[in-house]
Amino acid sequence: MARYQQYFALAKEKGLEALELYLYKKYSLSFSLFHGEVDSYALEDARGLAARGIHNGKIGYATTEKVDKEATAFVIGKVIDNAKAVDKDDPAIIFPGSPKYRRANVYNPAIRSLAVEAKLANLYQIERKLKEADPRIAEVETVSYSETDDEVVLMNSYGLELKNKSNYFYYYASVMVRDGEQTRTAYKIHLSRDPDDFKIDEFVKKIVEEAIGKIGAASIPSKKYPTILTPKVAASLLSAYLDGASAEEVQKKSSLLAGKLHQLVASKKLTVLEAPLTRNCFFRYFDDEGVATSNKTIINKGMLETYFYNLLTAHKDNVTTTGNGYRNGGGKIGIDFVNVFVKPGRKSQEQLIAKLKEGLLITEVQGLHAGLNPQSGNFSLQASGFLIEAGKISRPVNLITVAGNLKDLFLEVKEVGNDSELQLSSFNVPSFLVKNLTISGQ
Amino acid sequence: MISKSIALKVLNLATATGSDFAEIYLEETLSASLSLENGAVETSTSNITYGAGIRLLHKLQSVYGYTNDVSLKGLSVLADSLAKSFHEPRQVTVSAIKKIRVKNAHPIERPLHEVPTTEKIALLKDASHIIQNHDQRIVRVQTMMMDSLKKVYIYNSRGEMFIDQRVRGRMAFMALAAENGKIETAFEGPGAQAGFEFFTKTIDYKAKALEVAKSAIRMLHAAECPSGKMPVVIGNGFGGVIFHEACGHPLEATSVAKKLSVFADKVGQKIANPAVTAIDDGTIPNAWGSNNIDDEGHKTQKNVLIKDGILQQYLVDDFNGRRMGVAGNGATRRQSYKYEPTSRMSNTYIDNGTSTPEEIIAATKFGLYAKSMGGGSVNPTTGDFNFAVSEAYMIRDGKVAEPVKGATLIGNGADILMKIDMVGNDLLRAQGMCGSVSGSIPVDVGQPTIRVSEITVGGRGGSI
Repeated sequence: MARYQQYFALAKEKGLEALELYLYKKYSLSFSLFHGEVDSYALEDARGLAARGIHNGKIGYATTEKVDKEATAFVIGKVIDNAKAVDKDDPAIIFPGSPKYRRANVYNPAIRSLAVEAKLANLYQIERKLKEADPRIAEVETVSYSETDDEVVLMNSYGLELKNKSNYFYYYASVMVRDGEQTRTAYKIHLSRDPDDFKIDEFVKKIVEEAIGKIGAASIPSKKYPTILTPKVAASLLSAYLDGASAEEVQKKSSLLAGKLHQLVASKKLTVLEAPLTRNCFFRYFDDEGVATSNKTIINKGMLETYFYNLLTAHKDNVTTTGNGYRNGGGKIGIDFVNVFVKPGRKSQEQLIAKLKEGLLITEVQGLHAGLNPQSGNFSLQASGFLIEAGKISRPVNLITVAGNLKDLFLEVKEVGNDSELQLSSFNVPSFLVKNLTISGQ
Repeated sequence: MISKSIALKVLNLATATGSDFAEIYLEETLSASLSLENGAVETSTSNITYGAGIRLLHKLQSVYGYTNDVSLKGLSVLADSLAKSFHEPRQVTVSAIKKIRVKNAHPIERPLHEVPTTEKIALLKDASHIIQNHDQRIVRVQTMMMDSLKKVYIYNSRGEMFIDQRVRGRMAFMALAAENGKIETAFEGPGAQAGFEFFTKTIDYKAKALEVAKSAIRMLHAAECPSGKMPVVIGNGFGGVIFHEACGHPLEATSVAKKLSVFADKVGQKIANPAVTAIDDGTIPNAWGSNNIDDEGHKTQKNVLIKDGILQQYLVDDFNGRRMGVAGNGATRRQSYKYEPTSRMSNTYIDNGTSTPEEIIAATKFGLYAKSMGGGSVNPTTGDFNFAVSEAYMIRDGKVAEPVKGATLIGNGADILMKIDMVGNDLLRAQGMCGSVSGSIPVDVGQPTIRVSEITVGGRGGSI
């Protein structure tokens, strides 16, 4: 990493107290089919540098995708200017390093070494099988493949140098089904770091089942229904709820979990862990401040055990950071979490369904960025899924909204299933059975 | 930028294997942001975005790649690896590159990157104080300013070269009010393709800051919105997000070309109530969503999408236009060189009608007045959409009554277009960021006050 020494040299010359560089490199290849032909092929090769530096006790930021001599002067100059602009009374912290790191190699060279022809052959097969599966499949909208290598290097003027490289691939397909005047769509993503665990027939079957299952969907009467959330839906709502466990949100009075440490914030059926050291494509052994990460319990049988901390928020609360300082772009280090999972229960989704005389299985929610207020926890979301009658799925449902408050929802989880599924968000959670949710339809 | 001779070499390398079109899109963007918490500067950042994307087209196939290495070597490696997708004899040879003049329609008085940071901070502190001082229940205030200077260089195998410069600035205000464990937030984000004068002269930022504070406080005491089907009057300005999501996206060639849109094959047909005329206009001077040229080099246009309820045309990029048999109409956009360009909206709005907003409310016996909207999303194939309402009131006996919160509007785009039965005369545009296949881009949404005769309203306040 000698080429970056000029940054540290210039920083020293200009009187910076400390400097950190975060270097990222991304390679990705994707292609897609439409009507039996490759209609798009994309190659990405990107790199960049994000810098943070301390000047007169304040922290300044700069990023660049141009890496030359001029860029070095730009970055150091802007770090100083930007530090001078800061007047909030926060301590400026750049981290010298943790005593121990639990490094692991999660990069799988098998993904890139597999021939492009083989990946393409899979796409042709998926498209053909989707078309042949059912006459009501009117169009295979997209079949695509994508593989990505991500590399981050963190280095600072205290001599710390950490590197993490990971990769993954995914297959994606979406179909449109038509029955009379009704049009429905369904899609699926298979994300993994092991090319061997992709089973085409299973992938195709799931998309077809979902698409065909939606035909004839209609609204239902407005009232409260006992509701089962599929792993995908449960994961997105849990993720929104855990945003409130960010110490920054709590300290800035923007969280519904403020003041709830060591109190019940969820049903006793719920135990939630963050396990960044899980050896999958989301693995991280250091956060974006260079702090060693660790696996930990966040909610233990409904009880909130800890907030998520970075160095600054930990300093304010006089605690140790939990290693959850992550970047969101080129500025301030925010708080995030990776590889969150919920301790599974014993029952399958079918067994949960069998328990309900009348209820709802929600398979999709839309508009989380707008219909859910992460501060108050109130949500009102467009949803679709299936009506459950006499312990069985009776018909598809769409154009309904599900409304409530996240805290109430998680307190009312009656049971969790055993069907955990890894999502693109890195959440790995099973189905949840919730006592009652307010549904508006007809 | 790169020299014409480098562009020429790379384009000829890219077209060596039979592609019928090649294009280099090079970008250098200088951007900055300032973020204040409760009136104190927390973060100040400066960023350089720099790189090039190369696109090859071969009939209905597209191949795209990008790199930060814009040297002859870096671009040649990329062009060469992209060209490997095709195996035919050369069809196109580029012999010379000619610069095409781009006329600037967006005059700037004081470019934001030249304004001292202290001046920007003074404005943000003032806005923050206005919000904080409005009411002691406002416990958190965020004020931000973002600006960017984007230089774009486009070279293509027709031998054309375009250079464009895009200057944008935006302020954002967020107020968080809390009382007895209840939390409400409000947001405003005025922006333009203009300089500092937009904040100091064009808009009244003090009034906007105060409105954010008032809105957060008003919602603190609002009852939960009831649910059910009812007439909904949607306020002007950001209310236009409903048209943007439910109708604008399905009119993009991205979904129309492959006939994956509910509006495919419907030009000349009635798709909306005759009260509705809708326009996408990328030429409005200094508007947030405008551009001089689109990202293929075409001049932006004022495109009438729907006239008196009849579908006139789609938003088309050259590549999707091939499948549709029409030419691009200046609507091709992308977030940056990291995205392959495609058809997108610019400043999209429902045009003025004849009713006053007061007449529309007075003509509604019972319903919801969605004064300001949050965001939403749509499935372009089915047209199913959802929107969050950020400030709402019940309408009772033709009058605006009590405030309600937590409302969501859901429905189907094709269905709702037919049900817009009153259109006001108070057209206003508002700024937003639109995310889709070619990334996140600045757009204006807009409309006058309109009434939809029936929408499903979701809320936690029980059935109506």
